[in-house]
Amino acid sequence: MDAEPGLRARAAALEVLRQVLCGGRSLGRCLEARSALPDRRDEALAREICFGVLRRRSSLAHVLDVLLRRQLAADDSDVEIALLIGLYQLIYTRISPHAAVSTSVSLARHLGKPRAAPLVNGVLRNFLRRRGALSAGIARSGRPERSHPRWLVDAVRRAWPARWREILHANDARAPMTLRVNTARVGRERYLDRLREHAVEAWPVPHCEQAITLARPRDVSELPGFLSGEVSVQDAAAQLAAPLLDPAAGARVLDACAAPGGKTAHLLERCPSLELTAVDVDRERAGRIEGTLARLGLPARVRCADAASPGEWWDGREFHHVLLDVPCSATGVIRRHPDLRWLRRPEDPERLARRQSRLLEGTWPLLARGGTLLYATCSILPSENDDVIARFLAAHRDARVGPNHAIWGIATGHGRQVLPGDDGMDGFYYALLVKA
Amino acid sequence: MAILEVLHYPDPRLRNRARPVEHVDERVRQLVDDMLETMYAAPGIGLAAVQVNVPLRVITIDCSESRNEPVCLINPTIEAEEGELEAEEGCLSVPGVYESVTRSRWIRVRALDRDGEPIELEAEDLLAVCVQHEMDHLEGILFVDYLSRLKQARIRRRTKKLQRQT
Repeated sequence: MDAEPGLRARAAALEVLRQVLCGGRSLGRCLEARSALPDRRDEALAREICFGVLRRRSSLAHVLDVLLRRQLAADDSDVEIALLIGLYQLIYTRISPHAAVSTSVSLARHLGKPRAAPLVNGVLRNFLRRRGALSAGIARSGRPERSHPRWLVDAVRRAWPARWREILHANDARAPMTLRVNTARVGRERYLDRLREHAVEAWPVPHCEQAITLARPRDVSELPGFLSGEVSVQDAAAQLAAPLLDPAAGARVLDACAAPGGKTAHLLERCPSLELTAVDVDRERAGRIEGTLARLGLPARVRCADAASPGEWWDGREFHHVLLDVPCSATGVIRRHPDLRWLRRPEDPERLARRQSRLLEGTWPLLARGGTLLYATCSILPSENDDVIARFLAAHRDARVGPNHAIWGIATGHGRQVLPGDDGMDGFYYALLVKA
Repeated sequence: MAILEVLHYPDPRLRNRARPVEHVDERVRQLVDDMLETMYAAPGIGLAAVQVNVPLRVITIDCSESRNEPVCLINPTIEAEEGELEAEEGCLSVPGVYESVTRSRWIRVRALDRDGEPIELEAEDLLAVCVQHEMDHLEGILFVDYLSRLKQARIRRRTKKLQRQT
């Protein structure tokens, strides 16, 4: 017999959050590593709770601090997560207070800690009683600078003194689900018609010829033509890469940090005759490129290797174009990975910048004269963007910034920056370099 | 110990009638332990072996608030029952569905325990409901069978839709 309506969703969320908050693992990996709950509504609720608690963690922890009369024991971090799950539902969702409280109390028992059940019950009921008085505190704690670690707030503030609040707000908002239509197979307008026939509300995205944003996220199995490769899920900002590089038919192209293969696929969809090599250093992730391309029926040479050490994999023939989508702090996509702000460390951007420079140095010699290299990050920090490019330009006389007539984002010294939320997009940086 | 896969309605294997256990041996004890682990992990308060695709008359239950009072019944039979109780039930094999069912409020059950020793159990309220719910599984009966045909059809449609995998 089933225990209680909705308990399974909360128990699953608790297990994932425990791995993220106590085990330092990434939310995406934890969600992938488990098998989904049999009821799709349960699974959706479990995910919503995971994302929500991580997004609102500081605010929730602040409210909990006020409500708890004494500190929880060190080995009660699971009880604390049960409380955060309960508070999240009471503050940020329309779940009935009774259901939110009773499932949270049951969570304590599910954890094998029935002695904590009265505490959970008391804290949550106390919250409901004092909700009015606490709401001013919630509003204050809801300020986005509280939902990010201090070092990250400072870094964003230094980088974008006029827009940092807006950026932090965008990080706490839900990201839309955006599709890339394979326009070689079906036109965007035609596909929008088909979505309407399936009662899926959607609209075209500015600046991106293939992009469609859905009014509400959907399971991909509900999207017409997904399995047969007519559409893929990809944020609009990531869809800016292929048109910027815009390779001609038959060109030799290197996608140097290609996994999971979204931009690789986009390049090939626009121009199937490319001679494209996709490289990624992570074996598991390189495997995902093949999966992506197989679904779409696209051809490419996939190599698991370090792009910065071409001796291991390069056949010696120069490329006309290089897409260098380097590993970065991912500070532009925090809204999609609410755990990221807690997993990143203050020293990460600097460490990553060294790696980014090395990748740039390592792949530049593979580019033919007159060819273009598109440097891309999903970071909003100049230390990983313009600063890396500036250092590179200073050291390489044969490199100059190429023409970029784009109207999206903000022109920085050497590239263009999309900030999270601009035109509904993720935060991204692109710089186009031409080899003399 | 291992977490077993739970069959989901309308899987026809849930309709199998379970065989009595002839000897409570190490394999049966292993099954009981795995069923308990599966039940606690779900989380659920009762599980029948039929639900994990083992057609044997074995059920595990824990209705305690503290979740530390496991009950295992092998070859259970109801010796006596009294009263009526209408309560909302859910089932690990019919995820997301909770409906009211009327059952006996009090029952007396004879069975074998995990060591194969005969036991007698008197149960009332939630525990009685849960024992009857799990014993139904041994006959291939699900709690949704007690609902109106209209409701059953609706549940079948909805489960199909919600279980469609990507």
